[in-house]
Amino acid sequence: MRSARVTGTDSGTSPRRPHSRHRRRTVPLALAAAGMLLAAACVPGTDGSGAAGAGVPGAGATAKPDPSKAGKATLTVWDQEVRGGQNDELERLNAEFEKKYPNIRIKRVARSFSDLKTTLKLAISGNRPPDVIQANQGYPDMVAFVQAGLLTPLDDYAGLYAWNTRYPSTLLNLNRVSADGRDFGTGRLYGISQTGEYIGVYYNEDVLEKAGVKPPGTWGELTDALPEIKDEGELPVQFGNLDKYPAIHTFGVLQNQAGGAEEARESVFGRGKGFDNEPTREAARTLADWKKKGYIPEGANGTGYDDAAKKFADGEGAFLITGTWQLPDLKKSMGDKLGFMPPPPAERGAEPVTTGGQGLAWSVTSKSRHPQVAAAYLDFITSRHAADVMTEEGVLPAVPGSASREVPEGSVDEQMVEGWEQLNAADGLVPYLDYTTPDFYDSLSADLQGVVNGSLSPDELSSKMQRSYTAFQDKKNSQEKKRAEGKPKP
Amino acid sequence: MSAPPTATDAATGAAAGAGPDRDGGRAGLPVRLLRHTAGRYRRRAPGQPRAVGYLYVLPALALYAVFLLVPLGQTVWLSLLHWDGLTAATWAGTDNYRALLTDPSLRAPFLHALSLLVFYAALPVALGLMLAAALSRFRVRGMTFFRTVLFLPQVLAMVVVGVAWRSILAPDGLLNDTLRAVGLGSLTRSWLGDYTWALPAVGTIGTWVETGLCVVLFLAGVQRIPRELYEAVRIDGAGPLREFFAVTLPALRAETAVALTLTIVAGLRNFDLIYITTSGGPGNATSVPAYEVYHRAFETNEVGSAAAMGVGLTVLIFALTVSVARLVEGRSEGRSR
Amino acid sequence: MTGPMTGRLERSATYGILALFAAISLTPVIGVLATAFGRQSSLDTGFSLPDGLNWSNFADAWTRGHFGTYLTNSVLVAAVVVTATAVLAVLAAYAFGVMRFPGSNLLFYLFVLGLTLPQEALVVPLYFDLRYWQLTDTYWALILPQTAQSLAFGVFWMRTYFRGSSRSVIEAARIDGASSWTTLWRVLVPMGRPALSTMVVIVFMWTWNEFLMALVMVSDEAHRTVPLGLAFFQGQHSSDTALLAAASVLIALPVVVVYVALQRRFIEGMLSGAVKE
Repeated sequence: MRSARVTGTDSGTSPRRPHSRHRRRTVPLALAAAGMLLAAACVPGTDGSGAAGAGVPGAGATAKPDPSKAGKATLTVWDQEVRGGQNDELERLNAEFEKKYPNIRIKRVARSFSDLKTTLKLAISGNRPPDVIQANQGYPDMVAFVQAGLLTPLDDYAGLYAWNTRYPSTLLNLNRVSADGRDFGTGRLYGISQTGEYIGVYYNEDVLEKAGVKPPGTWGELTDALPEIKDEGELPVQFGNLDKYPAIHTFGVLQNQAGGAEEARESVFGRGKGFDNEPTREAARTLADWKKKGYIPEGANGTGYDDAAKKFADGEGAFLITGTWQLPDLKKSMGDKLGFMPPPPAERGAEPVTTGGQGLAWSVTSKSRHPQVAAAYLDFITSRHAADVMTEEGVLPAVPGSASREVPEGSVDEQMVEGWEQLNAADGLVPYLDYTTPDFYDSLSADLQGVVNGSLSPDELSSKMQRSYTAFQDKKNSQEKKRAEGKPKP
Repeated sequence: MSAPPTATDAATGAAAGAGPDRDGGRAGLPVRLLRHTAGRYRRRAPGQPRAVGYLYVLPALALYAVFLLVPLGQTVWLSLLHWDGLTAATWAGTDNYRALLTDPSLRAPFLHALSLLVFYAALPVALGLMLAAALSRFRVRGMTFFRTVLFLPQVLAMVVVGVAWRSILAPDGLLNDTLRAVGLGSLTRSWLGDYTWALPAVGTIGTWVETGLCVVLFLAGVQRIPRELYEAVRIDGAGPLREFFAVTLPALRAETAVALTLTIVAGLRNFDLIYITTSGGPGNATSVPAYEVYHRAFETNEVGSAAAMGVGLTVLIFALTVSVARLVEGRSEGRSR
Repeated sequence: MTGPMTGRLERSATYGILALFAAISLTPVIGVLATAFGRQSSLDTGFSLPDGLNWSNFADAWTRGHFGTYLTNSVLVAAVVVTATAVLAVLAAYAFGVMRFPGSNLLFYLFVLGLTLPQEALVVPLYFDLRYWQLTDTYWALILPQTAQSLAFGVFWMRTYFRGSSRSVIEAARIDGASSWTTLWRVLVPMGRPALSTMVVIVFMWTWNEFLMALVMVSDEAHRTVPLGLAFFQGQHSSDTALLAAASVLIALPVVVVYVALQRRFIEGMLSGAVKE
């Protein structure tokens, strides 16, 4: 056994003079290190050359692009539509697009929301960025990309393809960033969304029946039902927050129910007072309380988001509070047992309000070699026909088409579409909170894990959110002022 | 920047035995000895002018310099800047380093890393020594099999290890199922999602990976200890405990140094495991420097701070490996006197 | 003196402990293997015992996770890195091992420095450099940095071999009129096959398992290697435990097969004090 001789070492036993050895090594090494530093004193990009600048001109399109004349081209598309229904819908549309334009090949790269979020920045600032990407709206992602000049403005195409009339302006505004790349929700259009989405309440009819509870008609009925379900030995609300972001959704709903919808919406767009308010604290209290009372699972922070959905489908949990994007998968494994509704309002028959808006924006990168084809692709996957394909696959289109009127009566799909129409009519959608500041996604998702765990108090959460909000608004204002005074920006 | 002289010696020594070499540990010999053997060296060279050595070294050195040494210098340079990776950078001086020491959210990753070392280094070494002691008393049959199995975790990709352990540590995973089965249901929790337990849980994965390495290393060492030493202390009436402290432990000194060096370095370079299992969560309970470098540089656009963290990590690794070697060397000199 | 009874007891206790350790080592591995053969529609989120041998999981994971492409990429990158490291390391180590020239020690220590250097300290500027040179999203972005990092171990390991190689052999070759080049390739390298193969398997394993570089340098699906493939596969199919386990098996298999065949080389190489990642 050769490795038995592993210790044929002379360290410690051979005669040595540490000083001479030390000097002999350190002097040349120090020289080498200095040389290295000198050689290194320039890292490409530190002079700002990496940024293309926010003022990238639009593609300057004057006529509807015709991909069939674009020659042979490959369109690389990065998306996060990995779940059953969304995946099927997009695969179908991609195939149809390729059939319509045989000269175009679509190279699709699909990965989970979290994985897309962590790798997208690297990908689109690289040398061979994808042509079409799905970008999360708000300051953390879309605004940062626009600031770095990584996305192409789509206003020309919006006119040519009549996206301006296809979409309600409230939805389009979520995909807008000001020309200087500073403000979110106004200015140029940098993407359009395919799907509508909102956070609703899924329920398992079998579990509710077992607990002797009816599907709630008001928010009060829902919260009253939780202890009853618990007493029956069932889990009231299924919840998995290992991926960190799901709590933002639950928290948003709770905040809206506590009466914070209007203020939250204003603050997301930077026009509000922030988050130092009672509804924010109330929402955090409720979340912590649910955990303490066992209404949400003990291991919520350690359960994956998709694992939780799988468990809910398996009969573990009476309610699941999450987005419409889970509907196709849940329906597939639960069938008639599944029910869905927007979060019930405080009073029966009142207008609903919830967190949501639309799916991630589909954007065209500024280094794309086929911006025209990309724009045509965007139009194709958001068209009326695409909306019908989505409906057939159980996905909620941002603008429901004719097929949505034909969904079977009483089905969960109908509940979902009806809820969407009610929410839009009542202007009841509050944007996701993580849009608010560049670091909001990171800090809020981590902090909410703390709230769920009970280690971060509602007051602390509220003041942390407020600090982040005001710090960012102050920074923006001072930059605004400096620019107004004509000084160069720092 | 300076190489860790003593750590190198420990490493050299280990390789010397393991490899086909007989006197490879010469790297650190003092000048006197070198001059003494200069004659032999000259005879050793196969008859070419000595300068030809540069030609042999050049290709490797060029690649190594461009893709390792220069980036290392550049990291130091970047750590002195405020840079978002996109727009023009501004000079930061020591700001990033000062933040490293004062900002609790930047200090926490280092503290987490140090606590992980208990699981990555201390525990595996202790377990390895214990097992080696038990096996030192006679020759074990089937050693090749045990060695192969125990060492297996070392060759698996960390991604695979992470995926496997995520299943084990999940709320309804193997660990909780086992606890419930033996009536310890009250201990179950979501290990990776628990603020208190996530770090030890990740650490346990580290212990699982590194223990095999330590055991194999120590077993090899133990087989090498002359039987007579044991017989001598046994005649003195020593029990297993004294046998361990009088014979086994001193004889395994060099292996202990190698084991500590290897496990410490592995414990501080654990980006992939953290990325796969917790992404630093829950909250920031398992954020470590290796993960923060990536997170800051490529996700939150704080390149300067990320670089400072990388430099901090490098310094920490060097400081620890050097002190391990010093510790072992110091003790051995004391003994020989 | 220990009697035969205690001796036997101690013996079985020792084997018991060894078996326990071995079992702990194997549990996650066997868990993954067992799950990989399970049913895909299973709603179980942890390990599970298979109800049959569902080989189709592997085929599904293969096609749905694009592992065909990833494996090809991994093989290509690993082959180039291993070859380049072997050639460059042998050359440099030969000089360090058998020749004397001013600064040889310093240069050698520069290489040894790379043994403990964390990649995390290099990856940030490397990314910006390679992007500037238009090399990100190419195989070069994986090959060049990884070769450089493997050289630290390669040079260190092979120098140990050359130092230990028999003087008389070199001397004999010299007397026969062989140049240093011929001596190296005709005499020393053929003799050093054991040392060389140890280096090859270790560098192969490191390259195959590399994660951070592959994550940062390559965003393009066409150049993705297997570890990243698995990481993203986990994101997409985190609740399809059977598929995920099957994919893990596919990825671990090449290294494990080589390891089982050449375990002694692995162990001696990895215990030599060299660690890359």
